[in-house]
Amino acid sequence: MSGIARGRLTEERKSWRKNHPHGFVAKPETLPDGSVNLMIWHCTIPGKAGTDWEGGFFPLTLHFSEDYPSKPPKCKFPQGFFHPNVYPSGTVCLSILNEDSGWRPAITVKQILVGIQDLLDQPNPADPAQTEGYHLFIQVASDVDGRIQLSIREGSSNRQSSIPLFSSAIISLIKKLLLVW
Amino acid sequence: MASSSSSVIKDAKVLMVGAGGIGCELLKTLALSGFADIHIIDMDTIEVSNLNRQFLFRQSHVGQSKAKVARDAVLKFRPKINITSYHANVKDPDFNVDFFKQFNVVLNGLDNLDARRHVNRLCLAADVPLVESGTTGFLGQVTVHVKGRTECYECHPKPAPKTYPVCTITSTPSKFVHCIVWAKDLLFTKLFGDKNQDNDLNVRSSDAASSSKNVDDIFEHSKDEDIAQYGKKIFDHVFGYNIELALSNEETWKNRNRPKPIYSKDVLSDELSKQNGNLDNDNACGDGLSVSAMSSLGMKNPQDVWSLRENSRILLEALRLFFTKREKEIGNLCFDKDDQLAVEFVTAAANIRAASFGIPLHSLFEAKGIAGNIVHAVATTNAVIAGLIVIEAIKVLKNDIKSYRMTYCLEHPSRNLLLMPVEPFEPNKSCYVCSESPVLLEINTNHSKLKDVVEKIIKAKLGMSLPLVMNASNLLYEAGDIEEDMVAIYNANLEKVLAELPSPVTNGTMLTVEDFQQELKCNINIKHREEFDEEKEPDGMVLSGWTQPVSAEDNNEESVSNGANTSDAPATAVESENDDDIGIVSPVKKRKLPDDSENSNTADDARHHKQLQVIDDEDDLVMLDGNLDGFKKRRVS
Repeated sequence: MSGIARGRLTEERKSWRKNHPHGFVAKPETLPDGSVNLMIWHCTIPGKAGTDWEGGFFPLTLHFSEDYPSKPPKCKFPQGFFHPNVYPSGTVCLSILNEDSGWRPAITVKQILVGIQDLLDQPNPADPAQTEGYHLFIQVASDVDGRIQLSIREGSSNRQSSIPLFSSAIISLIKKLLLVW
Repeated sequence: MASSSSSVIKDAKVLMVGAGGIGCELLKTLALSGFADIHIIDMDTIEVSNLNRQFLFRQSHVGQSKAKVARDAVLKFRPKINITSYHANVKDPDFNVDFFKQFNVVLNGLDNLDARRHVNRLCLAADVPLVESGTTGFLGQVTVHVKGRTECYECHPKPAPKTYPVCTITSTPSKFVHCIVWAKDLLFTKLFGDKNQDNDLNVRSSDAASSSKNVDDIFEHSKDEDIAQYGKKIFDHVFGYNIELALSNEETWKNRNRPKPIYSKDVLSDELSKQNGNLDNDNACGDGLSVSAMSSLGMKNPQDVWSLRENSRILLEALRLFFTKREKEIGNLCFDKDDQLAVEFVTAAANIRAASFGIPLHSLFEAKGIAGNIVHAVATTNAVIAGLIVIEAIKVLKNDIKSYRMTYCLEHPSRNLLLMPVEPFEPNKSCYVCSESPVLLEINTNHSKLKDVVEKIIKAKLGMSLPLVMNASNLLYEAGDIEEDMVAIYNANLEKVLAELPSPVTNGTMLTVEDFQQELKCNINIKHREEFDEEKEPDGMVLSGWTQPVSAEDNNEESVSNGANTSDAPATAVESENDDDIGIVSPVKKRKLPDDSENSNTADDARHHKQLQVIDDEDDLVMLDGNLDGFKKRRVS
């Protein structure tokens, strides 16, 4: 019931409606009964142009608590999202989302989403959150590329008509990875 | 003076919220001070652990309503006074603004932030003074909140209990509390809690070594699997294998101490584990919460710090007991600090993990305190605080504004004072809760549509052009360019009757309205009314409590013009109210103690105390970690 969290979220909502980075989506959760919950936002992060993530749209959910903005929102990709800094549950591990290190109440939703977009292509090996993504990242960079393309397909199947073309090498790699997955 | 006090006391009708640690003391003190009409709300029932400090309760009362038993106990020695008890949640809709309006003052002895916020808002809406309190161990405070005169409970953000980032908990613990959180929220939940919950216990989503097997299977206990074997498998997996795996990520350990994997065979001999299996009988009579791995293993003192081996034995024994004695609960268990077996399991698991990461081990007693966020309650603090509440309540009843004090009860004397009085702060002008005076809208919530409110009130009278309408944290309407799917929802909402909206708007609801472009915010309290005079109230609704109680009800035309030129009126209204306050006491003066030269420091000190304490419980809740440390640090600065 915190008026502070709600007040801030309506401000975030208003400022997002006025202006937001191209290709991003962020809006409060709507339920089938027509209720619109300001404490949960459904977002889409576009893969950054010029990176392997380009062309994909990655769904992300922000869970705000009553203690927002003293505390950061919990940011979650779908379960099993392939990235060295994303937990198997989908929770994103990023310094600006960590209450003890980078989080400041002044950080906006816009900055969070852009920060996560950057993280996609610039994983932080010092804080690995899942082992496959981490090992692949460390060992064979191209393996990760292959897996990223897979995530693109999973994450954006509804929105993206043109599935990125895979070279035969990448496709065989994906098959191999799928066995492990 | 004395006689005027006694008459205001005798005639006062007071509401007490909470009949726990502070509440029991408060009810007793109120009754003995001559208060004769006391209403008391508490939703809790009496537990054994309350009996050491909530002196109105006896062992025979365990399980009964706190409010009712407290009433009966006090009526025994003050039979002539009126005490009305409610065994209910203060957040029930029955306790609405009208209910609060009947009281001269409201006294809080609550144990959680949420209820405190709720009462604060109702007191503001009903314009009833609130005396708010809290204690934590030797610390405590009493504050006075009078609408427009002093700050409200929510004028400044409250420190929230500390939470820890997932990364620290799952991969890189550095304090014992991290191990406790891991044991409690991850391991315990994974083994005994809801299987459908997200759980990041395993940092991997699949097991590379056995690619066909889902890693969750490891935690599944199959019917025919020997429980001792299963326990060891879990042990080796979480304390051995998972640590080895984490160690393989070299980068993580560059600037950290490397943890050491621990396997069950290294800490336990076969002999011991067999022994475990033979101890069944000791607990044959124990059921449910009385089952204990400690007694099963013949360990008695909860203040002992167990060795790694003892912790391992406790862990495996607790696991065995869960699966043998309490099998039905598995899958639905939540950690509870009063569940002995759960505390034993969490203590042991946290200690083994601590050993692995080179963190000092702790006793069950200490671990329980950390896991349950317990600060041991002190009965005398509650009694002191209850006395201070009554003192402030009497000042409030006499409208003796100049004497109001916020009082902080300290653990160590500061300037020879253990009780530090501070003049109240003035309301925070940008406080989201109390800065705008809410307006009142009388409306038939079963007939009028959201569209009527938006068009006839929000746009026409409040003068907003692109409004955003909220009920609590649910958005009901947003005007202007928005996402397509939301347009459909909002258009549907506009056509709905208020009481049938996705989050229903009924008697007592407070709507929050903002404008997309203007810096304008307004709270509207909804009051349901069946009948409206068709001639005098053609809109079927009446808006009051805001500037110029519009002379416009005569005809529609006029009301439109009124709306147009009062677009910034609510803001003006607030402004003028604040001017009054400033006239009474200047901000500088407010921050001073009556007779002290270094006073502004004191006030700031007090502010710090407040920041640290307000979340505290009457009972015991506060996060141990950082809180008291922070308290000391801040005081030094």
